Amino acid sequence: MTMLRVRDMTVRFGGIVALDGISLDLNRGEILGLIGPNGAGKTTLFNCISGVIHPDRGSIFFEGHSLVYAPPHVRARFGIARTFQNLQLWGSMTVEENLVVPMDALGRRNTFSDALYLPFSTYAERASRERARAILHVLELDRHARTLAADLPAGIQRRVEIARALAMRPRLLLLDEPAAGLDAQETARLAELLHAVRQRFHVSMLLVDHDMSLVLRVCDYVYVLDFGKLLARGQPSAIRSDPKVIAAYLGEESKQSTGETTTVVAAPKQAAPLLEVKQVAAGYGGLEVIRDVSLQVRPGEVVACIGANGAGKTTTLRAISGMIHPRRGRVMFAGIEVTGRTAERISKLGLIHIPEGRGLFPRLTVEDTLRLVSNTAGHEVDITPAFQLFPKLRERRRQLVGTLSGGEQQMVAMARAILSRPRLVMIDEMSQGLAPSVVRQLFEIIRVFRDEGIAVLLVEQFVESALDVADRAYVFEHGSIVLSGAAVDLRSDRKLVAGSYLGTAVETPAMAAADGNGHRVDPALMEIVSVRVPAKVKRALEQRAEAEGRPTGAVAIELLEKVDRQ
Amino acid sequence: MAALAAYTIIGLSLGGIFSLAALGIVLIYRTTGVLNFAHGAMGMFSTFVAWQVFYGWSHPFWPGWISTLLAVIAGLVFAALMGLFLEFAIFRWVRTRDPVVKAVITIGVLLALQSAASLIWKNNQYHLPIYLAPQAATFTIADVPIGANNIVVIVAALLLAFGLGAFLRYTSFGRAMRAVSDSPTSASLWGVPVGRVGAVSWMLGSLVAAVAGILITPFINFDTTSLTLLIIDALAAALIGGLVSLPLTVLGGFLLGLLETYPTIWIQSIGFPRLVALLVILAVLVVRNPRGFAVAAK
Amino acid sequence: MTSRLMVRVLVTLVAFAVLARIPVGFDVGFKFDSGLAVIWAFGLLSLVLLTGYVGQISLCQATFAGVGAYAAGMMTATFHVDYIVAVAVGVAAAFALGIIVGLPALRLHGITLAIVTLGIALVFDRYVFQDHAFEWFTGGTGGWSVREASMFGLQMDSSKHLMAAYVVLLALFCLVGLLMVNLHDSGAGRRFRAIRDSELAAATMGVDLIRYKLLAFGMSAAIAGLGGAFYPLVAGNVSPQPFWLFTSLQFAAIAVLMGVRYVPAAALGGAFMAFVPDVLTRFGHGSLFGHQYEISYDWFQIAVGVLLIVQLIALPDGVWGDLRHRVGHARSTVGALGGRRVKVA
Repeated sequence: MTMLRVRDMTVRFGGIVALDGISLDLNRGEILGLIGPNGAGKTTLFNCISGVIHPDRGSIFFEGHSLVYAPPHVRARFGIARTFQNLQLWGSMTVEENLVVPMDALGRRNTFSDALYLPFSTYAERASRERARAILHVLELDRHARTLAADLPAGIQRRVEIARALAMRPRLLLLDEPAAGLDAQETARLAELLHAVRQRFHVSMLLVDHDMSLVLRVCDYVYVLDFGKLLARGQPSAIRSDPKVIAAYLGEESKQSTGETTTVVAAPKQAAPLLEVKQVAAGYGGLEVIRDVSLQVRPGEVVACIGANGAGKTTTLRAISGMIHPRRGRVMFAGIEVTGRTAERISKLGLIHIPEGRGLFPRLTVEDTLRLVSNTAGHEVDITPAFQLFPKLRERRRQLVGTLSGGEQQMVAMARAILSRPRLVMIDEMSQGLAPSVVRQLFEIIRVFRDEGIAVLLVEQFVESALDVADRAYVFEHGSIVLSGAAVDLRSDRKLVAGSYLGTAVETPAMAAADGNGHRVDPALMEIVSVRVPAKVKRALEQRAEAEGRPTGAVAIELLEKVDRQ
Repeated sequence: MAALAAYTIIGLSLGGIFSLAALGIVLIYRTTGVLNFAHGAMGMFSTFVAWQVFYGWSHPFWPGWISTLLAVIAGLVFAALMGLFLEFAIFRWVRTRDPVVKAVITIGVLLALQSAASLIWKNNQYHLPIYLAPQAATFTIADVPIGANNIVVIVAALLLAFGLGAFLRYTSFGRAMRAVSDSPTSASLWGVPVGRVGAVSWMLGSLVAAVAGILITPFINFDTTSLTLLIIDALAAALIGGLVSLPLTVLGGFLLGLLETYPTIWIQSIGFPRLVALLVILAVLVVRNPRGFAVAAK
Repeated sequence: MTSRLMVRVLVTLVAFAVLARIPVGFDVGFKFDSGLAVIWAFGLLSLVLLTGYVGQISLCQATFAGVGAYAAGMMTATFHVDYIVAVAVGVAAAFALGIIVGLPALRLHGITLAIVTLGIALVFDRYVFQDHAFEWFTGGTGGWSVREASMFGLQMDSSKHLMAAYVVLLALFCLVGLLMVNLHDSGAGRRFRAIRDSELAAATMGVDLIRYKLLAFGMSAAIAGLGGAFYPLVAGNVSPQPFWLFTSLQFAAIAVLMGVRYVPAAALGGAFMAFVPDVLTRFGHGSLFGHQYEISYDWFQIAVGVLLIVQLIALPDGVWGDLRHRVGHARSTVGALGGRRVKVA
């Protein structure tokens, strides 16, 4: 039975098409996953379904009702509840009160009878509070019932958001990144929780998350969005091996011969590190995004940071450049301690940070933007070298940066980096939203940086290209570094790296050991067995292994190789 | 037809003043995130400093133009110092606070300045205006007297607006200011001195507010309140520019000046222009408002 | 009846009994100040509802009070009705205006809403209250003067029966204040606070934003208008000056200064607004070391402005909020010392 039917949904923000003719069906009792890279339009789709924004075109039907003109609270009364990516609890109320509000709002209550404390109101109130406590009990939140929502840590706030949505007795639950900021164990518990919720409360769910392990483990069916378009849809197992999806997440596998990369000689190991990050923790508000991150960049070296969205790469860069201040740990740059300095002062030491979204000024012309380099250099800078490197920018020098294409904007940011003559450039998601040909061109520029002796710290979703150009790499997962090594080694281990994106990364040893099923432990297979596959898949693997009388790892290897060949 | 031309000139001179006041508001808002409700009060206070020099302290034997010059210089110097003082004493400490809190703080500034001025210069007495051009130099179009002061105001407003525009466009510091107003976070990554840009914005904003105040004195009932209340017209003009665009803000100021002047052909009312300003604000907000809750939903 | 409600009713009754006796025996000026204090307290209370509970900004609360005052003045001066009818008409007029002002608030937030309400305050200040086009409502330049007024058949006018008016006002304030405290903890209050904490979450969790925002603006305006409607009774006449723009700004400033989330802070602020300027002008002149000095009303507004700035930087929850935190802290410390846990409300 189709419960939610979305047809031809289109949303434009100014010139940007956030959603482009998306259609989607959700059956009763189903958990539907919605995945895609940043800016793919997932949250926009959520906002359309819950009535927060109105689409330019398209229709939504929920249980046969058309929702296009219904305001949010009417949709809530139909039984659509949602959670928010950037937590939207009512901070000045206790957790219990947070749950009572939606219950009351859906009932028929009277403001004046409330203010007078008439029996009608007090009885209704008592009933609501009892139900709230029951829901909190199921979600193991009883302890926090009387705590102010704002005082809770982010992980628990996410659970309270789910509890509050359930308090509406919803038929459809929209979950927007419930696993953001959770570590591996918490994510695993969240997956169990969602299964329990489906069974206890009989709700259908639509789930958006960057953590592919969660989506692939929990969902019955998955839609993949990219650039506001539907890229693929299917069973989780099919999605995982869909080359289009892998390409969207990892980039095309490079066609370069390995011979060329071997010419890349790693920077001399003995050189003193240019950048040294020691056990840094940082976050936003109640959310601690990275913990215990340590990394080094030597002069003239290209280092890549890879890992799934939300793993803490961007936050690490921000903590280094002074956009946010680290809560613990130290950051040393060129022998000077820069922990807690302002971004302005750090940039003058020769550390350039090109943030996600490129950090440009939309209302400045290209020429004016490049002239701003004088602020870091301390004197007026000749900007012609930039035009030699990027001839296209010369044509567009009088154009406003905001009107340039994404690739051209990234060129402006890179040109600025070159003109500043820095010692280290940090680039966050350089290729986000750009066409492959442009991305190739930009990676060439990174080689130019290296030739000029400028060190580069790269955060990149196109892992293949990043590892091609990098000397070394760090793999992030759930806010800390799980793996590091020479880029050449990591490249040959594509399965492992893919795992960190598609939810099959190295598990903590403790959990891997607990997974033992009596078979002889083969160290080579351990790595593969310990992949964090969805529970369903795991069970299927084990069943098959038992039937064939082979170790589970062997079956897994065989399957993964099949995936790899596709 | 001729009457229309006369009213147009009056409207344009009023509009020039609105433009100047609005420019300061936009400048400060974009670079520091403070929507300055005290902008009119700041202009008022500086204007009274100039007035004090002009009528109180200048020697009767000096030629008129020296008194005028001294008065204007005194007012502007005071305005610049006051802008710097407010930035360093108050707004530097609340940089990370919510924009609404910052706006409420400016209401405190407004109340304090307004009362301090009425304490020093008395609220309810008639103050002689500061004339930049000889008051006697008037000519009439269709029985409507046009003072040379009107022309001075229009010219001064345009010159200042273009001067400010040129400063922002062609100087290194102006580029830095535009960068900060586009994105303070990015600007700090580019090594732009965000703090200094904020201080200069307060100084410049306060300066143009003082110029607006000095220019407007011949046209209104010159007392502490009416200059403070200039804020609503300035805000209306600033909203026409979306609190972003300086050229649109200047245009908005002139447009508002005309819209407030033309009805006086038929309606004799001191308060009616305020209604026009409010209607303009509402109209602009309806046109510019994004759909639904898009603001909150990011 | 819950015990908490009983405690509240008791506290209110005691407060009423004490406050009602305070002006007895003082001169007429002091009694006038007392009446005025309650009127201003109503204005501040309206902000507690609108800003403190619902999170909406308004810089035109004095306008609502002014509309209440003019409507009540018009009713008594032209139609000679019983004053309670005049008050009802004043409150209704303010409520209607509140709903109208609430309409743009449905789509505006924060600073833009502040600009719009400031514009509304200015239009009423300079245009409606002063223009001859609205003489039927404002009574012309002289305003309405109320010489004879009776409520429930009791004589109640400024010249002789100021105390009677004060007691009625105070009783109403205590009642409305009690209702407001109740409202805060009730379902409707939680829906209001949900809008304040996160409008987005409130809407998607089933709170009808249009209804509750308009209701909040209407109720808030009605509360301000209720206070304003008594102004002609206390002062004997109505003029634009008390309800001009700067009163609206003072309302906002003092409400935030005293603690915009707390009902008692409104009473405190009302007393502050009415008594401090009067005390300043009465006793604030003389000579010091042979130098003549005089403290005028302007010093009061300077103090309000400076205190507001200092408070917003140092005590974000206002004077009353800070007191509450301190008392709560002290109580829990004492409790810990005494070896037993004291629940801090």
